[in-house]
Amino acid sequence: MLATLVAIALVVQDPTPLRAAPQDSSTRQATLWQGEWLEVRGEKQGFLQVYDHRRERPGYVRASHVRVYALDEASVPRLQAVMEFVKETPGAEALGIGHAAALLRAAKASQVGPDFFDALGTMAERLARRATSNRSQDTALAAHLDVAALYGVKLVSFEREGRTRVCYDGEAFRRVLALGGSPQARLQAALALTRAECIDPALGPVELHALHLWRRSVLAQVDAGALPPFLANRLHLRRAEVEATLAYQFVRRGEPALGAEASTRSVEALARVSRVELAEEDRVAYALAAVRVGASRAASEAVGPAPTAGARLSAVPGAPGETCLRLDEAGEGAPRGVERCTYGLPWLASERRSAQGAVVTVAVQMLEGWTELWVFQREGDAWRLDTLAPATVEPSLGYVELAGFSPDGSRLLVAREVLIDGRVKSSFQVLKRDTLTVERSAERPEDSGTFHRWSSADWRGRTVSLR
Amino acid sequence: MADEKRSEQEQGRDDAGAPGRGAAARRVWGAMGSAARGVVSRVRWLVYAPRGRRLLAGGVVVGLMAGGVAARPFCAIEPGEVGVRVNRLTGSVSELPEGWSLLVPHVHRLSRYSLRDQTYRPERSTRATGPAPFQSMEGLSIGIEVNIRYVLDAGKIRALSARLPEDVGRDIVEPAIDGVLRRHFAQHSVREIFSTHRVQIQKDLAAELAPLLAEDGVRLRSVTLGNVDLPAQYRAGMESLLAEELNTERMRYTLELKDKQVKQSALEAQADKVRRETAAEAAGSEEIIAAKAKAEAMRHILPFKEKEIEQRRLEAEATKVSRLTLATADADAHRIQAAGEADARRKIAESEAYRLEVTGKASSEQLARDAALISRNPLLIQKTLADKLSDKIQVIIAPPQSGGFIAGNLLGPTPPPAPSSAPSSEEE
Repeated sequence: MLATLVAIALVVQDPTPLRAAPQDSSTRQATLWQGEWLEVRGEKQGFLQVYDHRRERPGYVRASHVRVYALDEASVPRLQAVMEFVKETPGAEALGIGHAAALLRAAKASQVGPDFFDALGTMAERLARRATSNRSQDTALAAHLDVAALYGVKLVSFEREGRTRVCYDGEAFRRVLALGGSPQARLQAALALTRAECIDPALGPVELHALHLWRRSVLAQVDAGALPPFLANRLHLRRAEVEATLAYQFVRRGEPALGAEASTRSVEALARVSRVELAEEDRVAYALAAVRVGASRAASEAVGPAPTAGARLSAVPGAPGETCLRLDEAGEGAPRGVERCTYGLPWLASERRSAQGAVVTVAVQMLEGWTELWVFQREGDAWRLDTLAPATVEPSLGYVELAGFSPDGSRLLVAREVLIDGRVKSSFQVLKRDTLTVERSAERPEDSGTFHRWSSADWRGRTVSLR
Repeated sequence: MADEKRSEQEQGRDDAGAPGRGAAARRVWGAMGSAARGVVSRVRWLVYAPRGRRLLAGGVVVGLMAGGVAARPFCAIEPGEVGVRVNRLTGSVSELPEGWSLLVPHVHRLSRYSLRDQTYRPERSTRATGPAPFQSMEGLSIGIEVNIRYVLDAGKIRALSARLPEDVGRDIVEPAIDGVLRRHFAQHSVREIFSTHRVQIQKDLAAELAPLLAEDGVRLRSVTLGNVDLPAQYRAGMESLLAEELNTERMRYTLELKDKQVKQSALEAQADKVRRETAAEAAGSEEIIAAKAKAEAMRHILPFKEKEIEQRRLEAEATKVSRLTLATADADAHRIQAAGEADARRKIAESEAYRLEVTGKASSEQLARDAALISRNPLLIQKTLADKLSDKIQVIIAPPQSGGFIAGNLLGPTPPPAPSSAPSSEEE
């Protein structure tokens, strides 16, 4: 319909009444909101005579409440100026989207480039964020969402963590990536398209894997070298997060080589983040990416040679998707072995043993971002197996890794990082070997003298918790 | 002779001038006679004159040489040919190789045989309306293009040369083939020849002709049946019939093709179904595995959670005990405090009662003394009232009322007022 009109009026004020007559005292036919368009049919007494095609209703609006545009090339500079102005103006997303639609109609094909789609995507993305935020005073939000939907801006909703999350489907950003655009615009498009919180929670593992591969390909289309350091950091963080997720998924699907490659990439991407240039708002993202990388970092390690003496840890396939870990010791009078099957991924390369040989630990990744530490202990004439979880919260994002042993083997040193209530909590703990109870805990390794003294160089060389 | 000629010419002119048949006959006769005389005179000259004899001898020699050349005593055998020379005097046979060979006239007879592949096409039988068409089993005349390729067996030529004709193709191959062809075609219907049994007929002909021609030193290479020329009406019917059959056949093939396509689609659908089922099964398995992994992770947390809960319970109990102790202590303190306060209040009440009793007695005595004083000094009534009443009383100075003093009823009857003003009004 918009394409067939010659002149339109765009509503610029919230809320604007559509009157039955050209008087402020006449009946209110409808309430109009920013960004809505009307067909202009005449002017009377300071009012514009308009027709609202959406409601199929004629009426009058104050001329000062709307802006009239002829849908031809002469209006393009005006429309562009308004769109550029409201692009970064919170609360004016519907107005900007309306101007973008009018500009798309008025401009020639050559005048519609990546900048246009970047602006449209930015406004749609901000509108989705507005819809997700907790601000209850935003009375115009519902109307603005309707206006955006009227112009074909698709916003999708997901139920996440007990509340609805609104996300932009990203069509404009896809066009930005297809058409080129400035490095910053491409980065913004890639980041918007690969937002983890906008992944449908109902997706199964197969669809998720395909989606993460697509996310990787989208991020690969952005050149980090052409970006300012603080923006390049965001790209590296997102890449680290995606690659870490893919590392787990590849190994889960029986492709360990690809998993190792993805894990290496995730560590590299995290290493590329410049701490000095890290923006304040990116610190949480940095911590989250580090935890995710730390959870699947063992995928890139190579399995070392089997020990010549002492207990041997082996993994054999169990039921479909299950791996059985077995620890046994050869020889006369050797203690009984122990076996346990798990649906997680045991990282045999992470196997570590105490100097006395009485404790063997191995990392087992249960979920994409959740890695436990399995502790095998020799007790008398048998081996015992205990598990150490990152935290006593519902498994979501976290890992626990061995940082070393005390010289006498009676203490274990572990590093834990876990997401609790939206914040990453790091703790460096000294545990008693027999009960695995926490003896000392610190938020930084240097805050605990025992931990600082006994933590192994091997752990310090490979961990991502010391950042 | 010149005279004779002259006389003849004159005579001719005379005769020409004299019309009639007799004159003409006489002129012819005369000419003949003169020719005979000329010939005799030439022969006599050749025999008797020396020059004539030399001329005659030269002519004889030239004639003999021309005769020798004309008789061609040498022959050339071309490549791809074989020559068989038969001596008529001795009967011996010799095979001549490629190149030149001696051939004595009237003694030797040469037969040439081609060793190249030769083709025989019975041209007279190619058209149904031709001079010698074939006959089908139905008795219809049909023309068939038959192409028979054969070659002479080089190894048997010498042995068979005595009975091989000059033209092997015309004298041996053609009759043999013609007979066999006619017999064979007569055993088949037009339709069989035209379409259905063509290949079989070719095979049968080759199978029968090959040994037959081999006896005469001819090796059969191939038998090919070409265009079959039918009578026009029959051809039209046959073509329509064949077209029908072709359509039927096409339909059959189409149906078969469709059937195969249906089967293929079914198989593809089945494969797709199996693939989708497998994918769904795999996806389902992955989901189940992921769910089991999550459940397992949760299971590993539960003991810690329970320990945490137990720890909290113990801490809560310890807190409860400490709170109870504190509360008991507080209650005891409150009780002691309350008892102290009650004792204190009782003492205060007792002291208050005692104070009221003592002050009441003192007030009564004071009132008695005041009453006596007022009765003795009435001019001090207002002041006294103001002194006795509380601070809520507002004292104003008002003129004496006609009814007397406002508190007159309190004081009883009073003597007539003196001519002076006194403050005597109150208001709450």
